Amino acid sequence: MDKMVQIRKADQPYIFGIRHLSPAGAWHLRRLLDQVMPEIVLVEGPSDFTEELTFLGDLCTKPPVAIMAYTEETPIHTILYPFAEYSPEYQAVLWSQEHQRQCHFIDLPSSVFLAFQSAAKNSDDVGEEESITVYRRLGELSKDKSHETFWERVMEHSSEGEGYWRGAEAFGKNLRELTEGKDHDYPETLIREAYMRRKIQETIASGITPDKIVVVTGAYHVQGLKNDLPALSDQELKQLPSVDVQKTLMPYSYYRLSSRSGYGAGNKAPAYYDLLWEGCQRQEADFAARSYLSRIAAWQRKNGNIVSSAEVIEAVRLAFSLAELHGYQIPALRDLRDAAVTCMGHGNFAKIAQAVADTEIGTAIGSLPQGVSRTSIQNDFYRLLDELNLRRYCSVTADDLHLDLREKLTVKSQKSAFLDRERSFFLHRLRVLGISFVSWQQVQQEKATWAEHWVLRWTPEAEIQIVEAQLKGDTVLLAASFQMKEEAQNGGSIASIAKIIEESFLCGMPETISYATAILQKIAVEAAAVEEIAKTVQSLSLVIQYGSIRQLSSEALLPVLEQLFLRACLLLPGSCVCDDNASKEMIEGIGSLNEAVLHHEFLSEERWIAVLTEIAVRDDLNTKISGYAAAILLERGKYSNTELELQVERRLSKGVPADLGAGWFEGLSMKNRYALITRMSLWESLDQYLDTLDDEEFKRALLFLRRAFADFSAREKSDIAENLGELWQLNPQQVSETVNMPLTEEAQEMLEGLDDFDFGDI
Amino acid sequence: MAAETKVQRLPAEQMFQKEIDALIAAEKEPIPTGWKMSPKSVLTYITGGKVGKTVITPKYIGHKRLVEIAIATLVTDRALLLIGEPGTAKSWLSEHLTAAINGDSTKVIQGTAGTTEEQIRYSWNYAMLIAQGPSPEAMLKSPVYHAMESGSIARVEEISRCASEVQDALISILSEKRISVPELGLEVPAQKGFSVIATANTRDKGVNEMSAALKRRFNIVVLPAPADLESEMDIVKTRVTQLSENLDLNAKLPEEEVIEKVCTIFRELRLGATLDGKQKIKPTTGVLSTAEAISLLANSMALAGSFGNGKITDYDLAAGLQGAVVKDDDKDSIAWKEYLENILKKRGLKWSGLYQECKELNK
Repeated sequence: MDKMVQIRKADQPYIFGIRHLSPAGAWHLRRLLDQVMPEIVLVEGPSDFTEELTFLGDLCTKPPVAIMAYTEETPIHTILYPFAEYSPEYQAVLWSQEHQRQCHFIDLPSSVFLAFQSAAKNSDDVGEEESITVYRRLGELSKDKSHETFWERVMEHSSEGEGYWRGAEAFGKNLRELTEGKDHDYPETLIREAYMRRKIQETIASGITPDKIVVVTGAYHVQGLKNDLPALSDQELKQLPSVDVQKTLMPYSYYRLSSRSGYGAGNKAPAYYDLLWEGCQRQEADFAARSYLSRIAAWQRKNGNIVSSAEVIEAVRLAFSLAELHGYQIPALRDLRDAAVTCMGHGNFAKIAQAVADTEIGTAIGSLPQGVSRTSIQNDFYRLLDELNLRRYCSVTADDLHLDLREKLTVKSQKSAFLDRERSFFLHRLRVLGISFVSWQQVQQEKATWAEHWVLRWTPEAEIQIVEAQLKGDTVLLAASFQMKEEAQNGGSIASIAKIIEESFLCGMPETISYATAILQKIAVEAAAVEEIAKTVQSLSLVIQYGSIRQLSSEALLPVLEQLFLRACLLLPGSCVCDDNASKEMIEGIGSLNEAVLHHEFLSEERWIAVLTEIAVRDDLNTKISGYAAAILLERGKYSNTELELQVERRLSKGVPADLGAGWFEGLSMKNRYALITRMSLWESLDQYLDTLDDEEFKRALLFLRRAFADFSAREKSDIAENLGELWQLNPQQVSETVNMPLTEEAQEMLEGLDDFDFGDI
Repeated sequence: MAAETKVQRLPAEQMFQKEIDALIAAEKEPIPTGWKMSPKSVLTYITGGKVGKTVITPKYIGHKRLVEIAIATLVTDRALLLIGEPGTAKSWLSEHLTAAINGDSTKVIQGTAGTTEEQIRYSWNYAMLIAQGPSPEAMLKSPVYHAMESGSIARVEEISRCASEVQDALISILSEKRISVPELGLEVPAQKGFSVIATANTRDKGVNEMSAALKRRFNIVVLPAPADLESEMDIVKTRVTQLSENLDLNAKLPEEEVIEKVCTIFRELRLGATLDGKQKIKPTTGVLSTAEAISLLANSMALAGSFGNGKITDYDLAAGLQGAVVKDDDKDSIAWKEYLENILKKRGLKWSGLYQECKELNK
C-alpha cells in the first residue's frame, strides 16, 4: 500500500488537495483512485453541472473544454471552469467513467455563484486581495522571485504522491491562516465549504462508507472540508440567493487558457504543462525538459533558422546547471527558457520568441460532441435580434435592410429614435466577427455616412460561426472587441490600424478605439512613407469629422493625428525627391494633408505653410510637386503676386531644362485654375519664356505643357485664349477657335513625331 | 597598504580580498574542479549579501538572473560571451567572475585591431629561439595557454575588435580544448576548470562581426542598460561627483532635477518609449549610454564653470543634448525634433525652459 492511502483520518473520506491545472496532481490523483477504488468521487465544481459530466467524460470530447454558466438577464455574468487534459478534476471524471463509478460535483450550484457575482459587481473593488498579496510575497521570498516557478519546482516536479498531498495540504493551511477573513470573497468561501460538507455528509448518509469516498478539491479548501464546523442546514440553503442561469459546455483553447492568469483560472504555459503530464505518464522526470528544448529547436529549424544539435545539448546542460544553482534536480520552465535564449537565441529572446510561444502555449483547441453547446454568445445574439426587431430577417432567403442612422425626430422614445443606429452597431460587430449572416453593401454617399444597406441571410454555418466566436468573448460585443484588439496587435502598418479605428467607429466601440489609437501611436513613430502617413491622416480625419453621426467622441484620436501630421511635415520635404511616377502619389498625399489642416484647427497651420513654402522654393525637389505646393499656397492666399512672379520667372527661364519648367507649371496648374487664369502676369511670363527657347527646347517643353493643359476644360481654354489674345493683341474669338480646334492631320503627325523624341538625359 | 596606494587601480581579487577570503572560509557547498568557491558563493560575491560578519558589497546591481546564467554556463565548462552596448559593465562583470572563481582576474587578452593569432596561442622569444632553437624556455605562453595549463579562466576583452581570422583562432581551442605546438611536438590538453569569458560590443563602430561558428561555441548573455531610472541616476551621480573632484571643474554639482532630466531623455530615446510606457518614440541611432550621460553632465559643468555662473542652466544642457543626440545623421535630427514636439513640449512647467532652449537650437 502506498503511503498516500494512509494519510486519511479514520471516519473521514479521502480529501485530496490539488492545484487546478496541475499535471502532477492529476497523476497522483489517478494513482490514489486506482488504489482506493472508491465508489464515488466528489469534485469541487458547481453541483448543478453533475448531469453535464457525462458529456465531459464522453469519448468524443477532446480537452481543453470548459463548463460555463451564464445569467439569462443582462448584464450577462458568466462563470467558467476550463479543463485541460491534465486537470485533476477532468481526470477524476474520466476515471469514474472508465471504472463505472459515480462522480458528482459538490460545490454551490452555478445559479448561486452567479447571484453572488451579480451582487458583488455593484460594490467597488478594494485594492489587492490578501491572497494575492500572499502569492506575491511567496514569489518574493522564493529564490526565483516567482510563485509560479516555486509551485512548479516544489509541486509539479514531486514524484511522490505523499509529498504532493502533504505539500498541497500544508500550503492550503498556511494560506488559510494568513488570509483568514481578509479576502472579500471570504464569506462566500465559508458558505461554499459548508455546502460541500453538506454534500459529503449526504453521500455518507446514503450508505457509502467514508473509505470509499474520494474528494477532489483545491488545496485551500482541504482544511475547510475537514474541520468539524456544521454543514449548511436546510433553512440556510433556502436563504441563498439564486438567479436563472443557462449551463453549457464549450470548446476551449490553450491560447485562451494562457491569457487568463492567476491560481485556478488559467495557466501561462499549457502546452508545456502538457509535456509535464506526458512526463508523469511515462514516469520520466526530465521528459518535459528535454522535449521543450528539442521542440524549440525543431520549430526554429522548420522556420529556416539553423540550430545545431550541439546547441540543444548545451541548452539542456545549462538548464540543469541553472536548476542546480537553486538546489533542484529538474529544471523548471524558467530555467529552460533562459537556457534556450542563451544557447539557441544567442542571448536574444526575440530570436526564439515565436518558437517559445508555440512550445509553451501551443494552438490546441478542444472539441465537443455535436449539439452540446448552447453558449452565452448564442444567447446574446438571439436576445439582441429580438431587442432590435431583427428576428424576422432570420430566414434562409436574403433580405434587404436599409438603415438611416440619423436621429428620428418623429418618434418619442429614445430607444426607437436611435434604433437604426443600434442595429448598425450590431450588424457591424457581426461583420467584424466574420459571421456570414450579414453582408454590408456599400452606399455611395458624398461626404455623409448616415445611410447603410445590408443584406441578411441565415445559414447553419452562421450558427457554427457564432459558437466559435464564444472563444473570443461571452457576448457579441466582447467577442468583437477581442477580435479587433487582436487584429490591432497583429496589424503591421499604420494604414491597417487606421482601418481598425474606422471599424471601431462603425461598431460603436469607444474602448477599442482608444486601444487601437494607443497602438497606432506606437507604430506611427516608425512610419517612414509620407504617402502612407497621409492616407492614415485622411482616414482619421474623416472619422473625426463624421464620427458624430454615431455619437462617439473622437477626442482620443486628436493627439495621434497631431503626431502623424507632425511626422508627415518633417519627412515631407525630403520625400519630394522622386520621379514623376511617385510624384502622383505624393501630390495626392499633400492634397489629403492639406484637407486635414483645413478641417482641423488643432493642426498647426503655421507649420504646414512653412513646409509648403519650403517645398515651393526648393530647386532640388520634383518640380511638379514644387509647383503643386505653390498652387496650394496660392489657393490659401499665402502667396503674393510678386512671389508668384518671381517663381514663374525663375522656374521658367532659359537654362532651366524645359521639362523641369513645364513640369513645375503642370503642378501649379493642378489647382485653382481660375486664379491662375486671371493673373495676366503669369501668361506674360509663360509667353516670354517660350520665346526664349530654341527649336529643340521648344519641342521638349511642348510635350510637357501639352500634358499640363490636357485636362483644362474648353471654357478654361477659351479664357486662356482670351488672355493670350490680349497679350498678342489679337481677336479673342479667333484665338479661342484656334486653341479649341481639333488637331489637323499635319499637326497630329508632328506630335507623333514628338513621341519618338530623344529625351536623352531626362 | 602604503605600497599599494601608489597603484592607480588594483585587480578585483586584491581590492576585495577580504570578501573572497570570508566566502572561502564559510564555504559549505561542493566546489567544482579548479574553482575556489561554489557557484552559489560566486553569486553572492557578485550580487552582494552577507557571510558571517562580513558584508559582501554588490558588484553588479540588478539583473541577478543574468549573473546566474553566466555562472551556470561556466559550471558546464562552456565558454561565456557577454554582449552589450558600451557602458553596460561587461568587463567589470567578467573581471569579478574570474576574481571569485579563480582568485585571479589577470589572464587577459585585450582585443584590438592589431591583435594577432600568436597573442591568443603562443609566441616566441626570438633571441632565444635563434640562439637555442625551439625549446619550452623560448616559448612565450599566452594568457589562454596559461589558463589551459592551470585549469582556470582566461578573459578576452572586446573580442569583436579583433580581425575575424584572429577571433577564429579560439574556435579550435574551445572545441578541442587543447593546443598543439608543432615546433616542440607538444599537445597541451586543457585542465579541468579551463574556460574563456569574452566580451563584445554591439553598437560601436569599428567592430568585426563574429563568425557563426565561433558564436556557437559560446553561451551568450546580453547585458542590458540599467534597469530603471533610479539606478541609472545613482550611477550617474556617483560618477559625476568623482569626475568633478578629479578634474577640478569649478562648478556646483548638478542638481537632482538636472540629472533626472538628462537620464530621462537618454533612457526614453534609448528605449524608444516614454518612461511610463504609454507613448512610443522613435529611437536615435546613437548609443546614448550611461557613460555619455555622465560626460554630458561633466561637460555642462565645465561650460557653466568656465563661462557661466557655475550653475548648470537649461541653455548649457540644451547644447550638450543637441550634440549627444544628433550625431551625423539626418534621421536623428528628425527623431529629436519629433521628441521635442511630441513629448517634451507637453511635459509641463518643469520642462518648458529646456524645451524652449532645445527648440531654439533646432530652428
